[in-house]
Amino acid sequence: MNAPRNQPWVERALELLDQSAASLDAATLSRLNRTRQAALVQRRRNAGLGWLIGAGLAGATLALLLAFGITHHHALSPAVAPLALEQGAEVDVVVAEDNLDLYENLDFYAWLDAEQQDGDG
Amino acid sequence: MLADSCFMSVPERMCAATATGTEATRTVERFLRDTERRALRMAELATGNRDEALDLVQDAMFGFVRHYSAREPGEWAPLFWRVLDSRIHDWRRRQRVRGRWLGWFERDADADEDPIAAAPDPYEPGPLARLADREASRALESALRALPLRQRQAFLLRLWEGLDVAATATAMRCSEGSVKTHLFRALGNLRTYLEAHR
Repeated sequence: MNAPRNQPWVERALELLDQSAASLDAATLSRLNRTRQAALVQRRRNAGLGWLIGAGLAGATLALLLAFGITHHHALSPAVAPLALEQGAEVDVVVAEDNLDLYENLDFYAWLDAEQQDGDG
Repeated sequence: MLADSCFMSVPERMCAATATGTEATRTVERFLRDTERRALRMAELATGNRDEALDLVQDAMFGFVRHYSAREPGEWAPLFWRVLDSRIHDWRRRQRVRGRWLGWFERDADADEDPIAAAPDPYEPGPLARLADREASRALESALRALPLRQRQAFLLRLWEGLDVAATATAMRCSEGSVKTHLFRALGNLRTYLEAHR
């Protein structure tokens, strides 16, 4: 069986439809043209709006990230300080109770050391 | 190209985007210009009124541009016809509701028409192939308008617009099997109608 399009009467019908579309009057064509242009203007407007929305979203995202970063940094700061102190083992040694006594009697130990050296000499 | 765009400044990027947008708009315009006349004829066959048809085509163009013009151009045809098909269905629904309310008044207006004069003339000379263009166009238009909407849409989209079965199904929002059935029936009905004009 022939494909529908290849049947002579269908071909003729399609030809007539093409003719009817090609022979539209000037007023109708003008109105179609105006309609098309109006649709394209709307498209351009939408594209511009798209840019604005995109830029706004990007700005908002950046602001959120910055706000989050700052807040997070402040939240972390107190936790970081004790860690830094813990890492310095020497600080513990220096601030231990025995060592504070040593500093308080430093003059005595210096004098004792000098006496011992004189005694040796 | 990608490397070039990576090194573009913001104003350069905006200019490039504008140029791309302009080119895309031109492509949309070409598509609409190529399609609009057939769209108008299709809407006119559905409504029987040029002004109504122009309104439907306008709605279809705006709807297409708003929802689908950002898609790949290869996808446009079935999507545009889908929007127009949807507008035609909406129009018919509105007409049906309006008809229900105004039925009584319209019945009076119809009474003035002579139903015998309005009926197709079985002795109209010649079949479609032998008719002069104007008469053949008139016979074809009557035949197409006498078809149920789905059959007419299947005929116009599949054969006149040249969409394949899948694209026609997308445009008509139905299965491919339904498209084949509608087309088969449309061809049979059209042939019968036009044979009656021999």
